[in-house]
Amino acid sequence: MKSVPFEYRAPATLEETLALLGKPGANVVPLAGGQSLLPLLALRQVRPATVLDLNRVPGLAGVEITDEVVRIGALTRLRALVESAPLRAALPVLPETAAQVANRQIRHRSTLGGSLCHADPTAQLPAVAVALEARLWLRSARAERSVLAQDFFAGARTTARRRNELLVRVEFPRTPGRHCRFEAVTRRGRAGFPLIGLCLAVSLAGSVVTDARLAASGIADRPRRLWEAERALTGRRLDGDLAEVLDAASAEADPSSDLHGSAEYRSHLLRTVIRRAAARLATEGSAP
Amino acid sequence: MSRTDHAGPFIGRSMPRIHDPRLLVGHGRFVDDIDDSGALHAVVLRSPVPHGHIVAVDCAAALACGRALLVLGPDDLELLTDELPTAWRIPGQRARTVAVAARTVRYVGQPVGLVVASSRAEAEGLAELVRIDIEPLPAVLGLDAALAEGAPLLYPEDGTNVVGEIHFGDAPQELERVMASAAHVVERELTIQRVCHSPMEPRGLLAEWIPATRRLTVWSSTQSPHVVRQELATALRLRVDQVRVVAPDIGGSFGGKVTTYADEVMVCLAAVSLGRRVKWIEDRTENLTASYQGRGQRARARLALDGSGRFLALSAHITGDLGAFPIQAGTGPFQVTGLALEGPYRFERAGATVTAVHTNTVPTGAYRGYGMQEAAWIRERLIEEAARETGRDPLELRLLNLIQAEELPYTTRTGLGYDSGDYPAALRRAAALAEERARPSGDSVRRGVAVTPSVEITGFAPSALLEMFQIDWSGWESVRVRVSQDGTVTVFAGVIAIGQGIETTLAQIVADRLGVPIDWVAVELGDTDTAPYSDLTSQASRSLTLAGAALMQAADRMRERMFELAAYHLKAPREEVVLEGAEFRWPAGRTSLAWQEVTSRGWKGWGRSEPGRIRLEETADFDPPAITFSYSAHGAAVSVDLETGEIAVEDYWTVNDSGVLVNPLIAEGQIIGGVAQGLGIALTEEVVHDPVTGHSLTTGFTEYILPASADVPPVTVEHRSTPSAVIPGGFKGLGEGGVIPGPATVANAVAAAVPDIAECLTATPLSPARVWDALSATEAGRA
Ligand SMILES: Cc1cc2nc3c(=O)[nH]c(=O)nc-3n(C[C@H](O)[C@H](O)[C@H](O)COP(=O)(O)OP(=O)(O)OC[C@H]3O[C@@H](n4cnc5c(N)ncnc54)[C@H](O)[C@@H]3O)c2cc1C
Repeated sequence: MKSVPFEYRAPATLEETLALLGKPGANVVPLAGGQSLLPLLALRQVRPATVLDLNRVPGLAGVEITDEVVRIGALTRLRALVESAPLRAALPVLPETAAQVANRQIRHRSTLGGSLCHADPTAQLPAVAVALEARLWLRSARAERSVLAQDFFAGARTTARRRNELLVRVEFPRTPGRHCRFEAVTRRGRAGFPLIGLCLAVSLAGSVVTDARLAASGIADRPRRLWEAERALTGRRLDGDLAEVLDAASAEADPSSDLHGSAEYRSHLLRTVIRRAAARLATEGSAP
Repeated sequence: MSRTDHAGPFIGRSMPRIHDPRLLVGHGRFVDDIDDSGALHAVVLRSPVPHGHIVAVDCAAALACGRALLVLGPDDLELLTDELPTAWRIPGQRARTVAVAARTVRYVGQPVGLVVASSRAEAEGLAELVRIDIEPLPAVLGLDAALAEGAPLLYPEDGTNVVGEIHFGDAPQELERVMASAAHVVERELTIQRVCHSPMEPRGLLAEWIPATRRLTVWSSTQSPHVVRQELATALRLRVDQVRVVAPDIGGSFGGKVTTYADEVMVCLAAVSLGRRVKWIEDRTENLTASYQGRGQRARARLALDGSGRFLALSAHITGDLGAFPIQAGTGPFQVTGLALEGPYRFERAGATVTAVHTNTVPTGAYRGYGMQEAAWIRERLIEEAARETGRDPLELRLLNLIQAEELPYTTRTGLGYDSGDYPAALRRAAALAEERARPSGDSVRRGVAVTPSVEITGFAPSALLEMFQIDWSGWESVRVRVSQDGTVTVFAGVIAIGQGIETTLAQIVADRLGVPIDWVAVELGDTDTAPYSDLTSQASRSLTLAGAALMQAADRMRERMFELAAYHLKAPREEVVLEGAEFRWPAGRTSLAWQEVTSRGWKGWGRSEPGRIRLEETADFDPPAITFSYSAHGAAVSVDLETGEIAVEDYWTVNDSGVLVNPLIAEGQIIGGVAQGLGIALTEEVVHDPVTGHSLTTGFTEYILPASADVPPVTVEHRSTPSAVIPGGFKGLGEGGVIPGPATVANAVAAAVPDIAECLTATPLSPARVWDALSATEAGRA
């Protein structure tokens, strides 16, 4: 299939990019790695007047690590996340999760910004962003603002990003002593879109959880924090009885049925991935 | 060419495929690679509903903008085309042809027309402007809906959705009699999903009509050029000699490219109407939703055993989902399921009734493994369940009932005549390999192994058999060998290269028999202007078996002629001439003559031994006396995750006997590829339709899940070799064997891993969700 005809623009500055994006009434779609957008174009599910290629804009890619945050440019490739040694040291759950997305060839093109803006409800990285309370920086020609990941995702493939805004970077707060895991069951085998994905982040005193963050993909039309499960986990041992945590998570999840499995199956998988993530953190831990 | 392995023998040598380097560096020449400058591009208009009457196809808007060169709708198609013929029907089947023009649509995606413009993108835009006005009719989705009391009918004139029915083997009442008196009977309903062929290269064609010569040339991604040529001639009301079909490189077919589709006729009609070249390349969505599909059947089956575990009777009622209409050989795979049900075992009685049913979905037909994978699924699941229910070891039960080597040749109850081999030996070897590979279970992961024997129809022929079944195909194959003036050798054959490596194996045979370096050999296939006639070509594990046999005969005759010519020029007695390093020598006379000098003189007509035979060409037609049967045993080691229902195939091994192997490397590739395809059927692949709208939900590879390389374990391939007694050269086929026992083997290994769910393993794919459903009803799953 072939896309509808569109104008292709590949500006070399952020200013020009934002100006094009902000043209009133313009139906402009940003192009990052293209791994989701190009199929949607070819299937004519996205029918833009202008495709705005971000790949020549300087300064949109890169990983910066301070004491407080891990700052990642929107155009940073998933492959770069996987291979970044400083990131592995500062926030290992990100490279570990990025490595589970698609396959090497696709990660070579796919970007963090694209993965978040595409907002697939089963995708891995949005769940990690929600669990870790990442802050997404959106910029238009006139202003810059930030939203928390949990407010960014508004539904299946819809976000809080306004049409004239570009996602420019994502900030993950660094919390000393926090351990994170991403655990998923996929449609098949080792990698690919999860049926259910879970990011679990905990702070521990000994093996007792003092603070917990849980967010899951595949349980609703967007990645969701599991607030009640977090409360239930706090004060408990990771290797202890998690029945209450699991029940709380089940009550919060609202998965749907499709050809890959029933809602009931997904609810069950959610419990499984929570148990697995907790067990792995209890035995293997992770760097803060 | 820099090949170093000039000298034979070539038969039996593992060598890489001649075409691989070219394909691997991107120099394939598929339909889409052919120069299309100046060609027009087509888009197929397809039905958006599963069932309905077309009231009107309104192309006014598309035509008004002046960019559409042609829009074809049902009116034009009805006026300008005839229906496509079918070849293999089921008793009771009324339809003998496939219409190109659709007035009533019967599946989502059915082609109803065509838009032609100067580019594909333009044509797609124009297609959006065409309004297809359809009066919807109630649709029938799935076998239950089709057979329900008062079901809507696809063909009201038939009074039923049943297409036809046939019975193979022992009569139903005889089967009932044995069942009634048996010590033990196992009964199951066993289902196999619909699958897509998923070739790397979808269908596609470039059609050229030259008005001056009134000739149509079609470059098509087909595995049956001669059949397509005849079908196109029929549909377009041309003479066969006005049509030339050329199959360039083909990126896989697996049974999906054996006939002409209505949309392909439309593309050719557009070329004829416009006098221009018209191109159409099927996209992946079309391939997954509108190209004919495979499998799709359900069987209620019973196995009866006596008190000592001997198989008394096997009986099945197979119901096949034929889709919207019978295509060329639509019911063929269902019929073969019945015919091949017994596999490699002895049954005192066996029989199967096959019923084909219409539904409002894509028509089904040939798919690699053609009924035999389905038969293995039914039979081997039943045997495994019988072993479990009677407390016997599944291997011992199988060995007890396998046809022994000394019982061959053996005729099954349905009339198949197995020729040669040692089935128990293959199974014993696979079982020995299983013992080395069994691994322990963990807390939440259970492990199991299973081994499954199989026997397969290969080299499907002879023509007399097809005549007996009234299948409108020939079964013979033909090969022409030409030795040119410069000594090079060209093989023309009716079989075709679809990625299986037949160019290489034919080159090996002819180089071997003639005694020339293999890089002097070219193999020309796929062009109806030059390729010998063939109906079935490279289907049914036929290519090497039948074309190879023909080539043995043609090459041996050519070799003899070359020796006679050489003897004449060397003035030597024929029997004293030897050929060494492409040089004919007469040791006693101390004379010699290069191969090329002999061929050059031959073409001049010098020194011929028979007055009428000058050209250095030999043609051989080969129609075998009987089918030759390969056999194998497959083993799988699986793990089952009790928490998620995920199955991983951790190890896989096969013991295979396909007679004389021309190229073991290619044989191994065919088997491993088949195994991967079998794992897809076993675990992930399934066409799913929305039960209300009739639209496919599996429109891309994120929904229709093929096994990727990481999902396929290392496959061990061991060979045995019992030369075929009916095929010169001793070859037997192996194009399909890899796919046949896989799904049953995997399911039986799962049953071994988690006996609690064995009874529920009645349908493929064994997706995690389906396995979890079974697990959650048992102790193991609640653990
Ligand atoms: C075979 C295959 C398997 C895959 N498997 C997975 C998987 O397992 N998990 C997963 O999460 N994804 C998967 N993907 C999707 C892949 O990772 C996508 O590339 C990713 O989701 C989008 O990233 P991208 O950079 O390619 O974005 P693009 O495709 O270029 O864009 C995606 C969307 O985001 C918008 N966008 C991109 N960047 C910005 C920006 N900076 N600001 C505003 N809007 C922007 C675009 O306009 C578009 O709407 C798979 C893709 C393929 C082809």
